[in-house]
Amino acid sequence: MSVRKPEISKGIDWVLFWIYFILVCIGIVSIFAATYRNENILQGFISFRTDYGKQALFFVFSLILGTVILLTDSKFFTATANLFYAFGILLLLLVFPFHTEVKGTESIIRFSGFQIQPAEICKIFVNLALAKYLSRVETDFSKLRSQLIATALVLTPAVISIMQKETGLALVYFSFFLVMYREGLPSAVLVIGFSLAALVIATLLLDPNHLAIFLTIIALATIYFLRKQIRRNRELLVLIGAIWLVCVGIQRFAVPFFFNKVLKPYQVQRIYATVGRDFKVDPKTMTEEDIKKIEEKKKASSYNVRQSKIAIGSGGFMGKGLLKGTQTRYDFVPEQRTDFIFCTVGEGFGFAGSTVLLMLYLFMLFRIIFIAERQRSTFSRCYAYGVAAVIFFHVMINIGMTVGLVPVIGIPLPFMSYGGTALITFTILVFILIRLDADRQMVLR
Amino acid sequence: MEIKKDILWRVYLIFLGIVVFSLVILGKAIYIQQAEGSYWIGLSDSLHLQYREMDADRGTIYSEDGSMLSSSIPFFDIRIDFAADGLREKNGKRFNTYVDSLSASLAGMFHDKPAKTYAKELKAAYKKKERYYLLKRNVSFRQYQEIREFPLVNQGRNKSGFIFEDKEKRMAPYGLLANRTIGLSREYVDESGKTISKNVGLEKAYDSLLKGVTGKRLVRRISGGSYVPIEGSEIEPINGKDILTTIDVNIQDITEQALMKMMISNEAEHGTAIVMEVKTGKIKAIANLGRQSDGSYFEDMNYAVTKSEPGSTFKLVTMLSVLEDGYVHLNDKVNIEGGVWRVGTRTVYDSEQRGLFDVTVKQAFELSSNVGMAKLMTQYYYRQPQSFLNHLYRLRLDTLTGLNLPGETKPVIPTPKSKYWSAPTLPWMGFGYNLSLTPMHTLMIYNAIANNGKMMKPYLVNAIMKDGKIIEEYEPTTLVESVCKESTLVQLKECLEGVVTNGTAKALQQPLYDFAGKTGTALVANGTRGYADHIYQSSFAGYFPATDPQYSCIVVIKNKPHARVYYGGAVAGPVFREIADKLYSRNTAAHQLYAITEKTDSNFYAWSGWKADYEQVFNSMKKNFRDSAKGSEWTNVVNNDFQPTARELAISKQAMPAVQGMGLKDAIFLLENMKLKVVVRGRGKVKAQSVTAGAKVNKGQVVVLELGA
Repeated sequence: MSVRKPEISKGIDWVLFWIYFILVCIGIVSIFAATYRNENILQGFISFRTDYGKQALFFVFSLILGTVILLTDSKFFTATANLFYAFGILLLLLVFPFHTEVKGTESIIRFSGFQIQPAEICKIFVNLALAKYLSRVETDFSKLRSQLIATALVLTPAVISIMQKETGLALVYFSFFLVMYREGLPSAVLVIGFSLAALVIATLLLDPNHLAIFLTIIALATIYFLRKQIRRNRELLVLIGAIWLVCVGIQRFAVPFFFNKVLKPYQVQRIYATVGRDFKVDPKTMTEEDIKKIEEKKKASSYNVRQSKIAIGSGGFMGKGLLKGTQTRYDFVPEQRTDFIFCTVGEGFGFAGSTVLLMLYLFMLFRIIFIAERQRSTFSRCYAYGVAAVIFFHVMINIGMTVGLVPVIGIPLPFMSYGGTALITFTILVFILIRLDADRQMVLR
Repeated sequence: MEIKKDILWRVYLIFLGIVVFSLVILGKAIYIQQAEGSYWIGLSDSLHLQYREMDADRGTIYSEDGSMLSSSIPFFDIRIDFAADGLREKNGKRFNTYVDSLSASLAGMFHDKPAKTYAKELKAAYKKKERYYLLKRNVSFRQYQEIREFPLVNQGRNKSGFIFEDKEKRMAPYGLLANRTIGLSREYVDESGKTISKNVGLEKAYDSLLKGVTGKRLVRRISGGSYVPIEGSEIEPINGKDILTTIDVNIQDITEQALMKMMISNEAEHGTAIVMEVKTGKIKAIANLGRQSDGSYFEDMNYAVTKSEPGSTFKLVTMLSVLEDGYVHLNDKVNIEGGVWRVGTRTVYDSEQRGLFDVTVKQAFELSSNVGMAKLMTQYYYRQPQSFLNHLYRLRLDTLTGLNLPGETKPVIPTPKSKYWSAPTLPWMGFGYNLSLTPMHTLMIYNAIANNGKMMKPYLVNAIMKDGKIIEEYEPTTLVESVCKESTLVQLKECLEGVVTNGTAKALQQPLYDFAGKTGTALVANGTRGYADHIYQSSFAGYFPATDPQYSCIVVIKNKPHARVYYGGAVAGPVFREIADKLYSRNTAAHQLYAITEKTDSNFYAWSGWKADYEQVFNSMKKNFRDSAKGSEWTNVVNNDFQPTARELAISKQAMPAVQGMGLKDAIFLLENMKLKVVVRGRGKVKAQSVTAGAKVNKGQVVVLELGA
């Protein structure tokens, strides 16, 4: 009997593993800093009653899970990707009848002491399914049909998430467009997407009439610069005219319609708050309850960001030191240990610490993209890009939120925020990647 | 290769996008930290940091025998935070469970409202979610302790929402006793809403010592509205020092009672009585009573140090001057003109007209003849007023007494240079008009005569103590070594005794002991109405016993207008007599401070202390001793049949132990463990203790130990 040595360490990308390890450790220390209340530290860790103790326990559990993943055959993931996707969607749908309402979200299922957030876990399944679909031999991603199917794959859980009032988690799924872009989604889609985003932001920032004049000037300038081409090709003029019309239409009608009728007033307010403008409450179109809700949210979200800014701002260059931060130590920053964990680093270790942390994330992203590009199989590559996209999106939105760059969207900082589901989700994402990468010589289908 | 190029381009773009986005975030973080940093730091501090004062405990004012005259007692305001999480969790389960039993307990303690009313009010406040609901003000420490055991409250601040705010109240356990002198320490809110402490009396004079130093600490607001102190930022408050006064509670009580009795029966306006220890100048009692609008009397002003025309008690100074300057002898004749004498444009009247003409100088004084004194003044000092004034200066009548009491007014002595100086000024000064002095000044002079010419500085504070240890002690101070010649002194004493035996105070005479003094009846001006209201100020100043003076005393009573009785001998005199009688019966010779004084002879010894120590001493000296105190920690070793015998010494926590015969180390250990304040005098073993063994003692009480061989 030949002893097959289960060499799980073979081919493993240790660099990625250690970055992961360090980030989770920083996370636990930050949670410790944010929640430590002069209790016995050792006891705090061992009893698992404190948040940092619990997080440490989650970490141990994650490492065990990671080991299990590393012991799994890579083919398992390709083989079961679609199955998992179906399971994920089912889980998401199960939320509707079985959810427990926790802090305004309706996306959590609770059973026998555990609570899971399917929208969070589903990222793994979507990533696997998308990779699987893109890597199919019969998929020709240059075809519109394939592009639409891929989009549907990605956006179905997003739509369900929105229905569960988890806008933040839903937005994460948009990050998968990065994968699709890498796999050949026409640049035009992204260009149009970005332009649209720019237009919407401009709509929010500028006076509608000024913006209309500005758009007109751009259109006229384009016509002037392209006058030679236009002379040759009359259709171009029509196209420019159409684009102008669409832009002005969006700016004058679509955005106001979307804001007034589709989005909830508090969401609108949040978006306005981010661009630094006050949302005008229109008593005609809103009920009294809505207005009250807006005022509350306005206070809460601006309070959060302000407290967060105080924390980061008062950190200075070198920071106040671990446990010396006053903002973060005394529960000023709401959701300190979860969504606003970056404040702890900002206050405790200042600019230097924040930069190091950001660099660490950046390094991790580059490492993942580097790993992605060395894959032989499309599946692995797509999967790796998916991981990079998700992490990137989370980090940017989360930190952007704490420094007041983006609206307050409740999504965690990968590996660092307190919370079992999030940590385990990201662990699984990373370890599947490590597993796939270890088998990079194989062509997975 | 087109595809590969395209893909590469896309990958680079993704890299670039990530980097750009990271840079933007980093840029924003730098901006917040560097450019806006100070703003955010400032905001953070202003939002969450503040200095909190930590009040120091105000010191206690003790009488000479260690009774508390004024002390601080903690009081509590009880409030409830109905928004407390523990109270509201599970739909207010905790509140609803306990509200009735709590209401019943509260009603049972305060008896002011039925339990139902309490429950109703609590429920209403709970419904309104009041965060600072006032349940009760000024709850005593005892009640506070009980309330903490009440249902719900015993679950702590977070669950019950109960907030106890402690504050201090100044209490005078002896009530009115010497109230004005001890003073008040009160807080009141002025128009601008600021709290100001207002003190009078000793509380004011020694305020800086009593109040201590307010501590400070930096606190940080934490979420939930509570504050936590920041470690290392505290400046601990320094508690106030205690003041050991010279006041004797018993003498004070006697004085106050005697004065009060006369004030009430005569419906007098205000009055003061001071008792001074002759040898030292210690003020043993100081009473000040003023009539209130409702007819009751209250220590409303320190009349003892408020100046007024002294009247006839001042004649002693006139006598002192003429006798000291050798102008007359007591037996020289002076014509008192039947009590009416015209000088210049004005007329001098004797207040008691007796129709006498040729009397001796001594008689003129004894009968308190204004004419006599005016004649002496005119005759000897009219051309040289300054030499009379020099006598006043020598008696320190031009300065404050030096008694450290706020509000003392400076005497007014006219001088020939003054524009108010006129022909009658000097003769009228001879019988105590046209100048004003405080009763304390007059008493100083009488005390000096009683003290064989040595003028002592009056004082009210024996010592300042800190944590039971004396940190500053005040000794008797001599102001003037000798106010007059020995011969003058003898004659003055004879005169003062004569007032009682033959003169205006004859009615006060009694057979048990002698006393000396001088009556005074002065018509006082009543503001703009002048002397028309016939308001008389009756006074009596003197000392007792006449042969060996122990105490001097002055009583000054300002009568109501047109009072039926107004003579000094009839109004102030009886008060003086009553005080003297009671003090005499208390045995004026000895202090009551030492309850037990052991007499020592050669074969008597009594050593007390820690038994193990004595065992060790006996064992190391190889000396036999009888141990009849098995199992006892403290022992009392005495001579029994020429053999030392260790007897058991019972020590209880509540009663004063017998510390005589102990070394100071043992005694202090014992007493201070009982929270007593120990004052030690002398050196050696404890010879006497001021509190009798077995007497009940209270925390903070002062015990004086006299040490000796």
